[in-house]
Amino acid sequence: MEKKLLRFTVNEAPYEIYVNPKTLLVEAIRDHVGLTGTKRGCETVSCGACTVMVDGMAVKGCSVLAMQVDGMKITTVEGLEKNGKLDPIQTAFLDEGAFQCGFCTSGMLMSAKAFLDETPKPKDEMEIRRAMEGNLCRCTGYNAIIRAIDAVAKGNYREDKQ
Amino acid sequence: MSVICPVCKKVKKNPVDCARHMFGTGDKPHRAWFETQGLSFIDLLLDQATQPGNKSYELVGGYVEKAQKDLT
Amino acid sequence: MSENKYSVLNTRVHNVDGHAKVTGRATYTFDVTLPGMLYGKILRSPHPHAKILKIDYSEALKFPGVIAVVTGKEDTLGVKQGIWRRYKDLCDEAILTVDKVRYIGEPVAAVAAVSEEIAEQALDLINVDYEVLPFVDDPMEAIKKDAPLIHEGFERNVNVTRQISWGDVEEAFEEAEYVREDWFKLGGQHHMCMETRAAVANYTPDGKLTIYTSTQSAYYHQALLAGVLGLREGNIRVLAPYVGGGFGGKFELDGAQFCASVLSMKCCKPVKVVFSREEDFIASKRRTPMYYYVRTGVKKDGTFCAREAKVFTNGGAYTGMGATALYLTGFFHSFPYRWKAYRYDGYRVYTNSLPSTSMRGFGAPQAMFCSEQQIEWIANDLGLDPIEMRRKNGHYEGYEVPGQATIASCGLDQALTAIQKWKTSKGKLPKNRAIGISAAGFMSGGIFNWFDSPYSFSSAVVTINHDGTVELHVGAQEIGQGSSTTLAMICAEALGVKLEDIKVHMGDTDHSPADLGAWGSRQTLMAGNATKMAAEDAKKQLLEFANAKLGFNIIYDLDIKQGWVYNVARPERGMSYYDLCKEALRGKEGQRIIGRGFYTPRRKGMISPAYSYMVQGLDVEIDPETGYLKIHESVTAHDCGQPINTLGLIGQLEGAASMAIGFGYYEYLPVEDGKIMNPNLVDYKLIRAPEMPSCQVIEIDTYEPEGPYGAKEAGEGLTNPHAAALGNAIFYATGLQMKEAPIRAEAIAKAWKEKNEKAKK
Repeated sequence: MEKKLLRFTVNEAPYEIYVNPKTLLVEAIRDHVGLTGTKRGCETVSCGACTVMVDGMAVKGCSVLAMQVDGMKITTVEGLEKNGKLDPIQTAFLDEGAFQCGFCTSGMLMSAKAFLDETPKPKDEMEIRRAMEGNLCRCTGYNAIIRAIDAVAKGNYREDKQ
Repeated sequence: MSVICPVCKKVKKNPVDCARHMFGTGDKPHRAWFETQGLSFIDLLLDQATQPGNKSYELVGGYVEKAQKDLT
Repeated sequence: MSENKYSVLNTRVHNVDGHAKVTGRATYTFDVTLPGMLYGKILRSPHPHAKILKIDYSEALKFPGVIAVVTGKEDTLGVKQGIWRRYKDLCDEAILTVDKVRYIGEPVAAVAAVSEEIAEQALDLINVDYEVLPFVDDPMEAIKKDAPLIHEGFERNVNVTRQISWGDVEEAFEEAEYVREDWFKLGGQHHMCMETRAAVANYTPDGKLTIYTSTQSAYYHQALLAGVLGLREGNIRVLAPYVGGGFGGKFELDGAQFCASVLSMKCCKPVKVVFSREEDFIASKRRTPMYYYVRTGVKKDGTFCAREAKVFTNGGAYTGMGATALYLTGFFHSFPYRWKAYRYDGYRVYTNSLPSTSMRGFGAPQAMFCSEQQIEWIANDLGLDPIEMRRKNGHYEGYEVPGQATIASCGLDQALTAIQKWKTSKGKLPKNRAIGISAAGFMSGGIFNWFDSPYSFSSAVVTINHDGTVELHVGAQEIGQGSSTTLAMICAEALGVKLEDIKVHMGDTDHSPADLGAWGSRQTLMAGNATKMAAEDAKKQLLEFANAKLGFNIIYDLDIKQGWVYNVARPERGMSYYDLCKEALRGKEGQRIIGRGFYTPRRKGMISPAYSYMVQGLDVEIDPETGYLKIHESVTAHDCGQPINTLGLIGQLEGAASMAIGFGYYEYLPVEDGKIMNPNLVDYKLIRAPEMPSCQVIEIDTYEPEGPYGAKEAGEGLTNPHAAALGNAIFYATGLQMKEAPIRAEAIAKAWKEKNEKAKK
């Protein structure tokens, strides 16, 4: 199959790559751009380990073709920290022990980040839990992840509180 | 009545207990002894496992008792 | 909680590998790429039982991009291996089978190609002639006289038998005033590690193999690979810096590791094999399904007299760690109670289905599902308080399980009190809602050595650099359970330094001392003891210099805490640890300070050096229409001795709860005609964030003399009680006795409907 040119921005850096039209976004990120922080845990769009942000929205990287994000802005887990400073959600994950094996963590962080950007003040814990429903974690039982997101939502990581 | 295991010579408190020990150990020497008596180790083991009561243990206990006279 | 007497232990710290994990820097086997690397794919058996007559891969080899094809017959030594290395009969799995397939998904051939896609396409070009054989996938069928024989020499497919007994069972049953017997059926459960089985093998013509792999025990894989590949152990380097979960499924040799190695040896190039999720479902392993018969005799006042259990486990096609699960289920079925007489007969049966093995809880969750429900029913039959009945018969400190184990620390009684209090505080619950409880206990590492390891069970080396930083080398494998953090904390505490002074090195057989790895909850106690010993060894050397340097009267004892080396009687007098290190090294002609430690259990009974105890309470609501369960709250009273890693402990307990609820309710893994019916994450249901209940943990304060700082198991044992607690909640809400796990919503709804209809009549 003839390869197509894909232009997109990954973590604020522009990329031009040639991909097979059926290449998935997660494959483009991992295999072409070479950022392996984004994982894969299934072939059925079930586990959320490949979640990234596309123009600010959480998207499972195995659910869209790379060509579908032509011209768009992708943020992966590697793009969360800025100049060596962790994003509040990353610090919260560390503080709450919201990961164990770490394989789902990148996807969890991206879903959490997109959710908090969209819903800075979730009305209750269940709203957070529902937002994270698409991400599987086999290690933690989710509760520490929910606590971490809640801590960020409560403003515990605002700059003036640090 | 305490008896001696005809294979490993361990002292057991009665023939049924000894039979149970022989099934439980189940290594090659113990299995081989069943054959010398014309018994099938595995068939008796599974009969014991799947049927109520202690038929296999009692049967093998009988053979153990008989074997005692050659063991002392 | 009492005041923490430690400066590092039982404090909230960041995981030592946390930064790498939250920034995407952690490199798992799944992420490894080496120059010139090929991709391997495995051709798998479509039949549950068949002879391989011929494999023709000539067309596959012609496919552009295909570099090599390997088969068991042509490219391997055909060595049958198993993790029970002391028992040759039980080494029964060649991985790439030579003559026969025994389950759907068993590896038949493997292809290496320049891309994964090409390798996958080439699989279609391999023609295999099979002679299809009759198969059997249920243990009760497989032991029948006319059942097909799966392994030569294993009559009626009985793979392993196990007996555990003490006391005079017949006599004790005669003493009993009430006897109850039940049959239970326990389903399999998939480990479902987020990272599927994966390996990157790199064989070089100098006879050395380096393999990155997702493993729970780097040393086991080094040894097992040496055996099947005909290499010296020391010429194999196993690397596992980050592992995406294990849960008991990643310490036997798997298809990814073996096929990647065989392909790499053939091509002399790196080869990567990663299982797809479907492959991981059908061709890794699973929690052992079981049939459980339980007969229990008690006195009318609730005193336990005798228990007898007969268990048939569905072993699947091969032995693996399943033989240990057969043993442990029998032992933990007696837990945590004192039986005057106890008898367990376990039969592990080969079937033509996915091999069964260890999974978090290691046979105990199955045992507890049966035991703890039956105990509840007995209490109910006799009109006794089930919590008091448990207390009356429970283990206590100093109790000896006859011929099996001595209980050196036990918080069961306090845990029962705590859960009783919580239960009372809940008051009367609404309709269709009830509290179920279950007690359990678990081991802190197995003392058995069927693997025949020539090395200490755990070892550690502590090296102190001139600037006071510490290199902690351990063979303990970090798989997410937090062992690296726990061991770093123990090292920091023992040495008297800060956590950030410690760097942990593990997951590399070239540079870490051997260790049996992460299974059976062994690392905190065993690797923890080794680490503590190594740190104390290094500290002793430092203090010798400190004594000479500080010039105190020799009657004074010195110690180090938080980087301050001081006179214990006059703590303000001393010097900085960091300054001391510089000088101490100078005194050693520049050599670094090296401390060594190890742990091998001796005289610790048959099972484990120490046991954890817990009582689990669940508040559960049942939908009368659908049978769906909603778990409102989970409360655990937990005795793990001295907590080491506060955050890690909570995480482990919550994680265990999620997996245990999966075993008890969500995770149904049906097999029909030897085929797993739901090998994907759409149809195999895992608990997700909205369903997960809040978990409260009540720590019971005990001290385990055998553990480092009094610590023992945490995080695996809590997989044991939930299924029974769910069953008990259902029992109180509906009167139903659910004897099959997972307890499926459909089964509850159906049984409840039938019960109500019967009542109407």
